Amino acid sequence: MTNDRLPISEIWVYLSGNPLFALVLTLAAYQFAYIQYLKSNRHPIVNPVGVTVLIVAVVITLIDMPYKQYFEGAQFIHFLLGTATVALAVPIYRGSKDLKGKLFPITLALLIGSIVSISSAVLIATAMGAGNNIIGSMFAKSVTAPIAMGIAERIHVSPTLTAVFAVATGMIGSILAPYIMNAIHLKPWWMRGTAIGVGAHGLGITRAFSINDEAGTYASMAMGLNGVLSAIVLPAVVSYFRG
Amino acid sequence: MIDGLVQLFIWQGLGELVSQFLLPNIPGPVLGLLFLLGYLHFKGSVNEPLGLVADSFRQHLGLLFVPASVGVVLFLPDLKTHALAVTIALVVSVVLTIAVTGLVLKIFWKATHHDE
Repeated sequence: MTNDRLPISEIWVYLSGNPLFALVLTLAAYQFAYIQYLKSNRHPIVNPVGVTVLIVAVVITLIDMPYKQYFEGAQFIHFLLGTATVALAVPIYRGSKDLKGKLFPITLALLIGSIVSISSAVLIATAMGAGNNIIGSMFAKSVTAPIAMGIAERIHVSPTLTAVFAVATGMIGSILAPYIMNAIHLKPWWMRGTAIGVGAHGLGITRAFSINDEAGTYASMAMGLNGVLSAIVLPAVVSYFRG
Repeated sequence: MIDGLVQLFIWQGLGELVSQFLLPNIPGPVLGLLFLLGYLHFKGSVNEPLGLVADSFRQHLGLLFVPASVGVVLFLPDLKTHALAVTIALVVSVVLTIAVTGLVLKIFWKATHHDE
C-alpha cells in the first residue's frame, strides 16, 4: 500500500464537488460582510447581502465554478427562505397588537405605494428598452426578496433577477429614506416605519429598528403585509395583462 | 430553538400542501405565514422558542437570499447593456414608493383625525 499524498488537484475536485464548499464560502463571506457592516455602524451602503454576493460571485468566477454547481451546495441555505417567510408572521402579529385605527390607513397607503412602485419601475424599464428579462423582474421586486422570488416563479420571470432587484431596492431605499421622509415632513414614528417597510423591505427594517423600536415594528408589519398582498394580487394582475 | 424551528416547518409544510392542491397561485410560505398569523391571533401570544427563532431569522434574513442573488453572474451581460435603465427604474421607483406611501398616510390621517 503506497502512502502517496493525493495530488492537490484531486483534493480540490473533491472539495468543490461537495456541498460543504459552497456552504462555507457563503457563510464565511457573510460573516465577514456582517462584521464590516457592524463596524460601519450599520451604514446601508456596506449592506451585508450586497458585499456577500460580491465576494461569492468573484470567488466562483475566479475558480471557474459554474453557478449551477455553486447552487447545488448553497441550496441548503436557500431552502430556509421559505421558513423565514413564515416567520414574518411574528413581527406582523406583534405590530398588529396595538394598531387601533391604523390598519386601514396602513393598508391603503401600502396598496397605493405598491402600485406606484411596480408601475413606475416597469414603465421606466420598458420606456428605456430594458428587455423582457429585466422588465419582467421589475414586477415582483417591490416586496421583500423571499416573497418576491415566490411570486417570480409563479409569474414565470427570473427569480434570480427579481432577488437582485429586491436587494438593490432595499439598499437604495434605506440610504434615501430619511431624506425623502424629511422632505415630505413625515414625523410620527409609525408612519416613517410603514413607509420604509414598504419602500426598503428587510434592510429598511434593520435601519428602522436601529433608530426607533416603534418604527421597526411598523416597518416589519408593513413589509410583511405588503408581501402577502402582492403575493395574492400580483399573479392575477400579471396574467390579466398578458391575456 | 429547535422547538421554534419545528413549529415554523409545520406551518410551512401546511402552507406548501395547501398551495399545491388548493391555491396554486399563492406561494406556500406566504400561506404558511397567514396560517401562523391566524394561530397567533387565536392564541393571543408568541411562545418564546418561536419568538427567538423568528427574531434570528429577521436579523439574518439577508444571508438566505445570497445563493439566489449570486445568480446575478448569469445576467451580467444583460445588466451591463441596460445598466442605466435598471438604475433609473430602481431609484425613481424607490423614491416614489416611499414618498407616496408616506404622503397617503399623512393626508389620510390628517383628514380623519383633525380633532386630535
